Amino acid sequence: MIKKIFSLFTLILFSFTIFSAEQEYKYQIIADNLSHPWGIAVIDNNNILFTELSGQLRLIEDGVLNPESIKGVPEVLFAGQGGLSGIILDPDFNSNNKIYISFSSPDEGRKTNTLEVISATLATGSLEEVKTIFKASPSRKTAAHYGARMAFLDDGTLLITSGDGFNYREQAQYLDNHFGKIIRINTDGTIPKDNPFVSMPQALPEIWSYGHRNLQGIVVVDGVVYENEHGPMGGDELNIAEPSKNYGWPAITYGKDYSGATISPFTEKEGMEQPIKYWVPSIAPSGMTYYKGTKFPEWTNSLFISALVPGDVRRLGMSGSQIINEEILFSDLGRIRDIATLPDGSLILATDGPKGKLIRVTNK
Amino acid sequence: MIINSLNITLSIIIATCLVILQETISNISWLLSVDMPVSFGIFISTYFNNLLAMNLSGAVPLIALVAVGFLIAYLVTRIILIWVNVPRPYAYGFAGATAILAIVLLMPLAFYNLDILAGGRSIFGKSILTFYGLVCGYYFGKTLDKQRAS
Repeated sequence: MIKKIFSLFTLILFSFTIFSAEQEYKYQIIADNLSHPWGIAVIDNNNILFTELSGQLRLIEDGVLNPESIKGVPEVLFAGQGGLSGIILDPDFNSNNKIYISFSSPDEGRKTNTLEVISATLATGSLEEVKTIFKASPSRKTAAHYGARMAFLDDGTLLITSGDGFNYREQAQYLDNHFGKIIRINTDGTIPKDNPFVSMPQALPEIWSYGHRNLQGIVVVDGVVYENEHGPMGGDELNIAEPSKNYGWPAITYGKDYSGATISPFTEKEGMEQPIKYWVPSIAPSGMTYYKGTKFPEWTNSLFISALVPGDVRRLGMSGSQIINEEILFSDLGRIRDIATLPDGSLILATDGPKGKLIRVTNK
Repeated sequence: MIINSLNITLSIIIATCLVILQETISNISWLLSVDMPVSFGIFISTYFNNLLAMNLSGAVPLIALVAVGFLIAYLVTRIILIWVNVPRPYAYGFAGATAILAIVLLMPLAFYNLDILAGGRSIFGKSILTFYGLVCGYYFGKTLDKQRAS
């Protein structure tokens, strides 16, 4: 009873809506005062799991934020861009309650850290059967460029984005490490036998594609893998990722270094893939979702990319895997860290920062 | 006084140009190592692009950073030389080296251990940059000696 009253009170308190005369959508804040919300995993229209970079796993339960964070989350390194990051539900979540979480993990007794992915079973208020299924190698001294997004391929294998660690950008071109790669593993942590570099000596068998920088969004749509990644100063990219392909970083890039220096004067080379879209200047793409809903018919079959700079969402109208137009949306919300689609066709946005919000975008 | 200022400015400009040279060599040599078609012309144009971009469109104008480092180091050295008798070229050489090393070591502390100057990521790169600082400081000390002699 007390819980129901509390839920109702919270709902009234936080669910105010902002209407716009021109737009056909409205915002509904479903949670605020969040500590750097980062990754969203949608269970259903009213139940949403999300991570806070500072280390908490939270649950929107029946439309209301549970004030208690979920217990059993491993220790994370909350520094720089590091912390509790990506989250994804198992394709059979409804029957097995399994989830996968990525985070920056401190190395015990050392000043280094690495990207780690765990699987766990979501029980009431806590995680159980927590198991590490991937740890990027080697570790890094920096707290930046982890990647840390995940997506499932149709065959049930898990793709994990692993960033270049900033200081280690050249390593993205070599196959003996996990910097700047997309990783493909089975959900128990084993390596699929058909991974592209399994039989190549000196290549790490988990690697699926390489030559990436800091991949912040990945979705699989009808078997096509879309990933976005931060360029340096300019040169943010949207790519169609395919196994064994080299995406060129840092040998080819449309961006410059933060110092202003030319990282590479080249933007293309045979054997290196071109993005299907790039942004100069940077938009700092973060999360990504593909919209197949019908709540907003004009948005159906669009790729939505949340962006940190200056803070908006890019809607890319798609025809197959071709981009046909770009629209800037939700530019009044500030930096947006992640975006997801609800089964009812609403969108969920996570705004960035120490007082982040989870906002539902629905029709009027 | 005017000559002194000119010499200080010149040493800062030379140091900035050398730091940018190291940045360019570092990036270009790696590109060569992965068989990118880098010609001498591309190297030269990249260097001149970097000269402009690292001073005009980077996160922090490099020349300003070098100037702050050198001015502090030179000032401290001048004060120390009131009491300590060390040949000026060596004292200012040490000051220049310290200024560049401080820039290379302190910048990552402000950016989560990220090396903004890619040419200074390795110990070798840091050593080269420090050596360039030493050369520029030594040059400044030599000009002071020449001034005094004339």
